[in-house]
Amino acid sequence: MSATRLSQGGRIDRSCELAFQWDGKGLSGYDGDTLASALLANNEWVVARSFKYHRPRGVMSAGVEEGGALVTLGSGAHRDANVRATTQPLFSGLEAFGQNAWPNVRTDLGEVNSLFGRFFAAGFYYKTFMGVPPLEWGRGTWLWMQYEKVIRRAAGMGRASREPDPDHYEHANAFCDVLVVGGGPAGLAAAQVAAEAGLDVMLVEQDSKLGGDTLNHPAAADADRLAAISALETLGCRVLTHTTAFGLYDGGVAGLLERVTDHQSIPSVHQPRQRFWTVRAKHTVLASGALERGMAFGNNDRPGVMTVNAARAYMQRYGVRVGDKLVLSTNNDSVYAAASEFAKSGAEVCVLDARARVEPAVTEFAEASGVRVEFNTAPYTAHGRSPVSGLTTARADRDGWALGDRMECDALLVSGGWSPVVNLLSHRQVKSVWDASLACFLPADTDEPLSLAGSAAGVWNTEDCVRSGEAAGARAAQALGRSAPTVSAPAPGGWATPIKAVYEVRVPGKSEKCFVDPQHDVSTEDVRLAHREGYVSVEHMKRYTTLGMATDQGKVGNIIGLALMAEALGREIPEVGTTTFRPPYTPVALGALRGRHVGAHFRPLRVTPLHQWNLDHGATMTMAGLWHRPWYFARAGEGISEAYVREATTVRESVGLVDVTSLGKIAIQGPDATELLNRVYTNPFAKLAIGKARYGIMLRDDGLVMDDGTTWRLGEHDYFMTTTTAHAAKVMVFLEELLQTRWTDLKVHLTSVSEQWAGVAVAGPCSREVLEEALADPSVVSNEALPFMGVVETRFKGDIPVRIARISFSGERAFEAYVPSDYAPSMMDLLWPAAEARGGCLYGLEALGALRIEKGHVTGAELDGRVTIDDAGLGKMASKNKHFIGSALAKRPELEREGRAQLVGIFPVDKSKRFNAGSLLTDGTVGDGHGEGWITGVTHSPALGHWIGLGFIKGGASAWHGKRAVATDPVRAEDVDVEIVSPHMYDPNGERMHG
Amino acid sequence: MAELATRRSALDGHVPADHIGEPGAVGVNLAVTREVQLWQVAAWPDTVDAVAKAVGSVTGAQAPGPRLAISGPNAVALRVEPLKWWILNAEPPTVASEQGAVVDLSHARTQVTLSGPAAADCLMRHLPLDLREESFPVGSVASTAFHHVGVTLWRNDAGIAVFLPRGFALSLWQLLLETAAQFGARAQID
Repeated sequence: MSATRLSQGGRIDRSCELAFQWDGKGLSGYDGDTLASALLANNEWVVARSFKYHRPRGVMSAGVEEGGALVTLGSGAHRDANVRATTQPLFSGLEAFGQNAWPNVRTDLGEVNSLFGRFFAAGFYYKTFMGVPPLEWGRGTWLWMQYEKVIRRAAGMGRASREPDPDHYEHANAFCDVLVVGGGPAGLAAAQVAAEAGLDVMLVEQDSKLGGDTLNHPAAADADRLAAISALETLGCRVLTHTTAFGLYDGGVAGLLERVTDHQSIPSVHQPRQRFWTVRAKHTVLASGALERGMAFGNNDRPGVMTVNAARAYMQRYGVRVGDKLVLSTNNDSVYAAASEFAKSGAEVCVLDARARVEPAVTEFAEASGVRVEFNTAPYTAHGRSPVSGLTTARADRDGWALGDRMECDALLVSGGWSPVVNLLSHRQVKSVWDASLACFLPADTDEPLSLAGSAAGVWNTEDCVRSGEAAGARAAQALGRSAPTVSAPAPGGWATPIKAVYEVRVPGKSEKCFVDPQHDVSTEDVRLAHREGYVSVEHMKRYTTLGMATDQGKVGNIIGLALMAEALGREIPEVGTTTFRPPYTPVALGALRGRHVGAHFRPLRVTPLHQWNLDHGATMTMAGLWHRPWYFARAGEGISEAYVREATTVRESVGLVDVTSLGKIAIQGPDATELLNRVYTNPFAKLAIGKARYGIMLRDDGLVMDDGTTWRLGEHDYFMTTTTAHAAKVMVFLEELLQTRWTDLKVHLTSVSEQWAGVAVAGPCSREVLEEALADPSVVSNEALPFMGVVETRFKGDIPVRIARISFSGERAFEAYVPSDYAPSMMDLLWPAAEARGGCLYGLEALGALRIEKGHVTGAELDGRVTIDDAGLGKMASKNKHFIGSALAKRPELEREGRAQLVGIFPVDKSKRFNAGSLLTDGTVGDGHGEGWITGVTHSPALGHWIGLGFIKGGASAWHGKRAVATDPVRAEDVDVEIVSPHMYDPNGERMHG
Repeated sequence: MAELATRRSALDGHVPADHIGEPGAVGVNLAVTREVQLWQVAAWPDTVDAVAKAVGSVTGAQAPGPRLAISGPNAVALRVEPLKWWILNAEPPTVASEQGAVVDLSHARTQVTLSGPAAADCLMRHLPLDLREESFPVGSVASTAFHHVGVTLWRNDAGIAVFLPRGFALSLWQLLLETAAQFGARAQID
C-alpha cells in the first residue's frame, strides 16, 4: 500500500536526481518534481498538521488551491512559512519542514486538541473566554486577554523568520496590447491569435511550464502543446512562467508576482528572488483555468484523500502513482480518462459515481481498461490514518444517502465538480453567475476590455478550450482595431452526462467530521452552527467560521460552504450569493511589495556637491530630511560635544565654514515677480533694490507661519529665494499652486535651483578676509561695497562664478556664497586654506544649531505649523499697509489673543544643569497636562558657558519675569528650574553682524 | 589657483570600471555626461510662438512641441513643459523678460544615458512609463518619478538619457547599477 514512482512516463528527468531534506531526513527526487510529488514518491503522506485540531494532513491537490500540504522552506533568515508543497519546484539542497506540530508532523502532541474537537466549533474562543461569571459578566474580555496568547500559540501555521530578509526583490513595469493570464490550451491559443494579428502580447503562467491541464495528460499527446509554444516564440510573444497574476485593477492594470529564483538551487546573485510587476494592458484575456473541488464526507481531510486530477497530475506529469488500489469518487464525467490511465498503469481502480447512470460512451473506454464503476455511490467516510486505508460508502437513497459498504483502498480520489477561476474578474467587482446545470459560478459579462477563455469560462474539453482561446484572442484583436478571423466561442459545459450536484454526503442519524475548508479546520457542522446562531449572510458566515480565509482564500471550499448555507436557509445558491474574491489570488511576500526600496534605499538620499569634500575633511554626517549633512568635524580625541562647542567658539572668535547647500533655492523670474513676492511675504518687497537681499516671512492661508528665508534681487525681474531646508519643496509647491490657480494673470516663472547652486556660509570676524583671499576681485566684499544684506555676483579665482550675500544666521559677520554645484569642491579648496590659516574651522549642523539658538533665530523646529508671526517674535515684519497671504486669517481672535505662547530663551537657574528639547514648561505646580509651554531646541552655549534653550511659553518672557518656571521631561529626565529670558540670548542688538 | 577650475560631476568617483553583474554580454551601458550644459527657456502663455522662434534660432531647427525633442545642427531642444524648453549644449537665446525667462540648470541635473538591448527594461524596473521603442521613439521626452524623485527622459540616437536632480543622482545611480547587474552592464563617464 504505497505510492509508486513509475519507471517511465511523466515530465521529470530521471537522469537528474535531486537530494533534499524533509524534516531533517535526506530524501531524493528528480528534476521536474514539485516538493509534493517528491514527498509522495517517498511515501511521506503526513506533511502538515491542521490549524485547530492538529489533524494529520497530506497532499490534497497539485496546485495553488492546496489547503493541506503547507510547509516551511529553508531556515534561519531564509525561513519561508506556509509554502504550498504542490507548487514549489524541487531543487537540489531544498530544505523543508513540517509546521504547526511538535515534535514533528508525524507525531504531533497537539493532536490532543482533536479530542476536544466538539468544543472548538465556530466562535469557540469568544463563547468560552469572554464574560465568564463569576470572573466577569456580560461582554467582558479580561479572561480572553489572558488566554489569547496560549490559544494563538496552539493554533496557527508556520512561523516567519524574525531575522531581516536577506533576499533582494524588485519592481518592474511593463506595457502590452494584450495580457493573457494562464498558459493552458486556451491561453496559448488566445496569445497566438492576438500575436498573429500583430499585437504585442504578454502571457503569464504561474506554473513552471506552459500547457495548463494538458501537462497532466499523457506526454505522448504533447505535440499540440509544443507547437503552440513554438508559435509564440516565433511571434515574439513575451512569456513569463513562475509568474502569478495576483490582482486586476483599474485601467487594465494587473499585478504580477514572478518567482525568479525560488526554484533555483543556487540562486543567481544578480537576480532578485521575486519580481513584482505592474503591467498595463489594453486588453486582458483571463484563461485562468478551473479548480477541481472535493466533497464533504467523513474524514475527507485524511492523507491519501486528494482530487482526481491531482492524482492524475502526479502520475502523468511526475511519474508518481499515488496508490495501487484507487477509489475514485465523482459526480461528473471528468474522471474517466484519469481512471483509465490509472488502470492501464497497473492499478486496481474503482469509480464511485454519484449519478444513477451516465452515457455509455463516458465509461466505455475506462471499463475496457479494467475500471470498475459503481453508480449511485459516494464516500460516506474514510478509514485509516495516514494514508487512508479504506472507506465506507453511501448509497443514494431517495433524495439523500444511506450507509453502504466498506471498501479497501490506498488512495481516495475525489471530484465534486469544477469551479472556474473567476477570482481576477471578481477583483473588478464583476459578480459571477451561478449555473445550476454545471454546478459552478460562471463569469458574468463586463464592459471592461476583459475576456475569459477556456475552463475559466466553464468550457470543459481541451479542444473547446482551444477554440474558446482563439475566440478571445480574436475578440481582443478586433477590439484593438486589428483584423482577425472571427471564431465563435463554444458554450460552457462539454460533459456528455450532466453533473449531479453533491456537496456533502450525509447519512441521517450519523455524524462524522466533514471538512469544508481544511486549511482553517472549518467543518460542515461549523457552517450549520453559524446558521443556527443566526448568521444568514454569507459574508457574516465567512467571518464567523473563518471559512475561505487564510492562504488559499477558499479556492475550493467556498462553494461547498455556500451550498450548505443555502441548504440550511432553504434557498438556492444564487439567492445566498457569494463572497467577493479580493487580491491577491495567491500570497505575495512583503519583500516583493517593497522591492528595492529597503536599507540604504528606503528613501531616496540627497547629498550635496560637497559631500565627498566634507567626508575627506573629517565630517561625521547626519540625516536632515532626505539630506546627508555634516553634523560635526571632530578632531583627535573629540566627541560630538567637544567638537561642536569648539566649532561654535571658533566661529565667534575667528571664522568657520559650513555647507548650506541644502537650503531651498528658487529662481523667481518675470515681470510680475516683485508683485508675487509682495503678496506672499508679510513684509514689503515692492521696493527691494537690485543687489540687495531681504529676510522674509511667509504665512499659510490660515495665518500661521509657513516658512522664512532671504530673497535676493538679482535684476529687475529676477529674484533668488532661499527657504529652509525642511520647507523647500512645500514653499515651491505652494507658490506654484498660487500662480496656477489663483493668480494666473501674473507672469512669473518659478524654477527650483536648489540643485544648481552649492552654498557655503563663511561666518565669523575673519569671514571677509577669507573671502577676499579666494575672490578674483577682493574689493567687492568690502564693508562699503557689500554692506549688511548686500548681494554681489562676482567670480572666485579659477573663474568660478559666485553670488554672495552678506547675511548671517550665526549672528557674526557672515556671508553666504553660492557657486554652480560642480564647482563646489574647487570653491572649498580656495576658502578652506584661507580659513585654516586664520585658525578657522569647518562646522556642522550641531554648531550651526548652537549659534542660532544663542541668537534666537527660528527654524523648522519653531515654525511647526502652530505658530503665528507674533508668537515667533517677528510681528514687526507683518506689514499693516498691504494684504498678503494669510493676512486676513491671521486676524482671527484666537491668533491675536493675549497670552498665546511666545518665543523665549531659556536658562537653567542652576547653571550647571541641562534640560532637553521636547520638555514641557510649567509653573512648577502641575507636572502633567500640556503645561505652559514647550522647548524646541537646546544647546550648550559656548558664548554663555551654560545650557540654553529656545521655546514657547504663554505670555512670553515678560510675563514670566521673576516667576518660577520648570522644564519638565517626565519620560527622560528630572525637572529643572529654569529662567525665562529674551530669545536673543547673545549680542541682542546684532552689533557683531555689522562692520 | 590661477588655472580655471574644473567641474566635478555628482558621479565622479562612483563609476565602476569593470563589467557589472551577470557575466557575458552587456545588456545595459550606462554613460554619465561629465559637463552638462543645460538652459531652461520659458515662455508666457501669449509668447510661446516668439520664444519657440528664439529656441529654434539657437538649435538651428524648429522648436519641438510637447513631449518631443528636436536636434538641430547646433544644439538640441527638449520641450519639457507646455511653456518650457531645455536647450542642451549651447548658449541660450536672449529672451527679454516680457517674452519669457531663461535660467541655467547646467549643474542642477546629472545626465545618464542608458543604451543596449536591456536599457528600456532596466529603466522600467523603476519608471512606470512605456519605454518600448514604438511607444517612446527617438525624439521623445517625458517627465516621471524615479523612486519619488522627478526625472526627465529623452530618447536619442545614443540611447535613453535620464536627467537626475544632482543631489539625488548618487542614490539613483546606485539603484540603477544594482538593477542593471541582472542584465550585465558597463558604466562610463566622459
